[in-house]
Amino acid sequence: MGTRHTTPIIAAICALPLVLSGCGAGQDANTDANGKPILNVTVTKHSLTKPLKDMNWPKALEKACDCTVKWSEVSSDWDTKKQAILASKKVPDVAISAFGDNDMATYGSLFLDLSQELDSMPNVKAMFQTDPKAKAVAETTDGKIYSLPADLQDLPQPKSNRRMYVNKQWLDKLGLKVPTTWDELYDVLEAFKTQDPNGNGKADEIPMDFAPIGTSGLGDGTPVHLLGSTGLPLTGTVYTQGIFVEDGKVKNYYEDTRYKQLIEFLNRLWKAGLISDKAFTQDYSQFQSVARGNGDEATVGFTWGSTIEDRFGAQLKSQYVSIDQLEAEAGQSAKKVWYLKEDAQRYLPGKLSISAKVANKEAALKFADAFYDPDVSIQARFGDMGTDVEKIGDKQYKVLPPSDSSKDSSTWAWTESLKENAPCWLQGKIEPSEEYKLRLEEDAPLADSYANQDPIKDQWPLEIKMNTADLNSISLNNSTILNTAVSNFGKWVTKGGVDAEWDSYVQTLKQANIEQNTEIYQKYYDAWLAKQ
Amino acid sequence: MTLTTSSITPNEPNTGPAPTAASSPKPTWLQSAKRYWQLWAMLLPAVIFVAIFSYGPMYGIQLAFRRFDITKGLTGGDWVGFAYFRQFFSNPQFWPIMRNTVVISLWTLVMGFIAPILLALLINQIHSRRVKGFVQTVTYMPHFISVVVIVSMINLFLTPSTGILTRALAVFGLHDVNLLGSTGAFPMLYWMSEVWQHVGWNSIIYLAALSSVDLALYEAAKIDGAGRLQLIRYVDLPTILPTAGILLILNMGHVLGVGFEKVYLMQNPLNLPASEVISTYTYKMGILQNQFSYSTAIGLFNMAINFVMLVVANQISKKVSDTSVF
Amino acid sequence: MSQTKLQPAAKVAKTQAMPLPHRRRGIYKTPGDWAVDIVIAALITAIVLMVLYPLWFLLIASVSNQNLVNTGKVVWWPKGWSTYGYEQIFKDSRIWTGYANTILYTVAGTALNLVVTLPAAFALSRRELKGRRIVMFFFTVTMFVSGGLIPTYLLYESLGLLDNWLVFVIPSAVNVYNLIIARSFFETSIPEELHDAAQIDGLSYFGYFIKIVVPLSSAIIAVIGLYYMVAHWNDFFTGLVYIQTTSKQPLQLVLRDILLSNQAMSGGNGSVDGAGYGQEFADSIKYGVIIVSTLPLLIVYPFIQKYFNKGVMIGAVKG
Repeated sequence: MGTRHTTPIIAAICALPLVLSGCGAGQDANTDANGKPILNVTVTKHSLTKPLKDMNWPKALEKACDCTVKWSEVSSDWDTKKQAILASKKVPDVAISAFGDNDMATYGSLFLDLSQELDSMPNVKAMFQTDPKAKAVAETTDGKIYSLPADLQDLPQPKSNRRMYVNKQWLDKLGLKVPTTWDELYDVLEAFKTQDPNGNGKADEIPMDFAPIGTSGLGDGTPVHLLGSTGLPLTGTVYTQGIFVEDGKVKNYYEDTRYKQLIEFLNRLWKAGLISDKAFTQDYSQFQSVARGNGDEATVGFTWGSTIEDRFGAQLKSQYVSIDQLEAEAGQSAKKVWYLKEDAQRYLPGKLSISAKVANKEAALKFADAFYDPDVSIQARFGDMGTDVEKIGDKQYKVLPPSDSSKDSSTWAWTESLKENAPCWLQGKIEPSEEYKLRLEEDAPLADSYANQDPIKDQWPLEIKMNTADLNSISLNNSTILNTAVSNFGKWVTKGGVDAEWDSYVQTLKQANIEQNTEIYQKYYDAWLAKQ
Repeated sequence: MTLTTSSITPNEPNTGPAPTAASSPKPTWLQSAKRYWQLWAMLLPAVIFVAIFSYGPMYGIQLAFRRFDITKGLTGGDWVGFAYFRQFFSNPQFWPIMRNTVVISLWTLVMGFIAPILLALLINQIHSRRVKGFVQTVTYMPHFISVVVIVSMINLFLTPSTGILTRALAVFGLHDVNLLGSTGAFPMLYWMSEVWQHVGWNSIIYLAALSSVDLALYEAAKIDGAGRLQLIRYVDLPTILPTAGILLILNMGHVLGVGFEKVYLMQNPLNLPASEVISTYTYKMGILQNQFSYSTAIGLFNMAINFVMLVVANQISKKVSDTSVF
Repeated sequence: MSQTKLQPAAKVAKTQAMPLPHRRRGIYKTPGDWAVDIVIAALITAIVLMVLYPLWFLLIASVSNQNLVNTGKVVWWPKGWSTYGYEQIFKDSRIWTGYANTILYTVAGTALNLVVTLPAAFALSRRELKGRRIVMFFFTVTMFVSGGLIPTYLLYESLGLLDNWLVFVIPSAVNVYNLIIARSFFETSIPEELHDAAQIDGLSYFGYFIKIVVPLSSAIIAVIGLYYMVAHWNDFFTGLVYIQTTSKQPLQLVLRDILLSNQAMSGGNGSVDGAGYGQEFADSIKYGVIIVSTLPLLIVYPFIQKYFNKGVMIGAVKG
């Protein structure tokens, strides 16, 4: 039925544009009324972020490229929208924070190879020369550059984006020490549960809480961080798939016995009622709210988060401290480590790309380069000069506190600028906000654990890019691997049985080609290592 | 209404192209088309819109049989036949996903079909026009709550130990239930919240059908001594039956059509073995992982099953009750 | 004809002699009727309460402190009064352009929907139309088979519909589901006698449809119109994929933007840091958004309900 009708339909389709094109957009309008080139720029941003027309610094971009910019701002469901844009080859002239490495693997041909254009982009060229790692992050295996990264070169970075917190006030009240091993943690949590440390007479304390696990692997803020207690090093973003590198060998922790050991420990906690009974089912909102307690009465004893203030709120922040990684067993030989994410935080790939078919290439290149100017970079990241950033001297900046006192610094940061979505090269002397400095302070107790992780042999390198075929194999295998791993994790922690079922579980993972994934990762890692 | 009764006067001469007596020999296609050109003219705009906007993009289905390659254009990839279908069928998750999908959707289909009929019959029993309007409006409202908020309400109400429903269950002696983390309860949570949300909305069509009942029927039946239940049984129910039949057939065409967003948002590690369905799997593969051809193949498989179900239901219904979609 | 087979009610009307099991005197209520009344009242009350509580919860949650909402402390009354959500919603200028856009798309879209769907449904309801089953099949196929997002996107592009507000109106001109429902109504609820009378009267199909069928079908037109209207009102996907310009975005997309922000915050890639505060603000908008976006539809509904009142058909059947 359908096929027989296609010919007349196609005829009709061809005829209709004549009728509709009068009101259609996206025609060959490459210059505006004043003869200036027009750039269509798509930017993905956080939904809190205010419209770009309300910011001052983008005007500098327009000035630099001497063109008119038509912004298209996206802040939700970009994944869906992206598919249509890519597959129909209708990528915007310039895309900001819109296409990642996986997209480039499949659709690289749609984008301009910027490695040939560096001479037209002095700022970018300088960035690549000053900081070769930024170039390595941007380059594909055959030396092409389809997208430019953000390089937070001179912004002091914590080495990780998650830390471990315990309620110090409760510890002091109960006369307990900060735990250093899993067993000590168990005892502390038990005391939290039974001895009413918040003193309200109710047993409403939640000894341990963690972030919602989702269905595609264990991620940030979940007990996965405790794997480091056994000496198992996690890095970057690949770790949610179970992938980690240990002494130059790629492995998957979902089939590692140390992961089994962790599950056994968590199950012990769960059986004793020391983990929030909502941990596996709550959503992110509930997870965040419960840690805020009631007024100045805390409810959560031990958890993970990005900063104390973010996790517990202004009223309770003084009760908590960040602590060092625990040891799985007292006096173990394995050296404890903590989730290392320094590179992934300093270099953010895929921040800016230009269409291969861009009409005003000169303008687009100037526009792109302007982002990497020191003054523009700092504003793109933190907000307008004057209100959000103060320029102290040449390449010297100070990030200002929120000028709207009703907002906290984190909400403020997301409102005022593109923040992590900004293409930028932060260089010079930058004095971060007070809130940001706290992050560095909270990172201090973890120093030894960071040091135990070899930056080459225990870390998955950020700059590795895979080809489409390998990415497809990996994601196809992962659909089964992660589904199996996540659902068993939940089951074993809450109901036990890991000991009896472990072997058949590992067998299932093997059937789902977990080895193939590890081999693919190893192949790329070896190739990378050979070049170092 | 006055228009209808007054405008039909049998004395006017019969002009216009309306067919006269049915005495002519069996008309050919062409004759028939000529005679009923007005009907065809009324049909034409709809046919054109559907031809362009629904049939127009259908060539994209061949993606299911090709290896998607952007450099060769949308449909220029190498022909791989049924490779992507085999990939799906041989996936260890295939049977669990199918089972979950069918269980969830059958529950939703059956309960979602019965509930609006019952509600419409009930609302129709209300005498007071104001009360009736109130009940209708109240039951209609949940339809407009977005999935995101529905799911967060489910989470809040059922959350262990503090949720209002969890506490209500505790009053009835059911302590420490965690329905959110239960594989067994997942289909129930899904269909119950679906029914809760859409029952009022879906009863509208039945209420409209009930409005076409001739009031004289009730009078006649009452004089015959019919009680309330008999009125429902012998007047109301037969009135909505044709509509119900059509809707049932159409619903049968959604046996594998469990919506994506709600299930996706309701998933958690504990219910995952019961909550991974075709649409969530396709989303994870297609949208998140750029696996176009594969997700198209799964979609096509889905459509094929649904379509077969619809045709079967339609033919059965045609035989049994003379109600049919085509 | 199957006309009467499908509609036992009409049959009863004609014969008026269908024997009913219990023969009692008309208007007085029997004890059985009283019992039925009580059961019905109880059921209705239970249903209304079951529906009403979550709606009430939405309302109180929209003006409460979100930490208290999320930890299950808001149950019957608002706690930690806060109108932050509404302030944010009404402060956002996009909301108002979104509203204006959505009203335009909804009105224009629904008008086109009805103009295209009703005549087609009527034509398909006429049994004398040869080939109607094939056409029906042609329509039904499209409920299940779709070409997918990409070919559709390319089609719209070639038609100049990208970033064009007509994309909200034209492609969705016919919804097959609604077409089938309308056809089924015309088939079963418009007495065939009327058509016979119209023929004698010399009315063409056009005349019969406009002068007789449409006035008699207010209930189904109201329902189909409502279906279409709500579909347009709730459509965010079209705006999401096919519209680039912010000023053309419909209300639902603007609201979804606000609504999804807390999910964006918890996004699993781990690159987002310091998300907690923002999430709290986003939460308080979440519930208010529902109320703001649904209000117009709630106001419209009573006007539509009017058309479901009984007795529409009386004059016609007797005519």
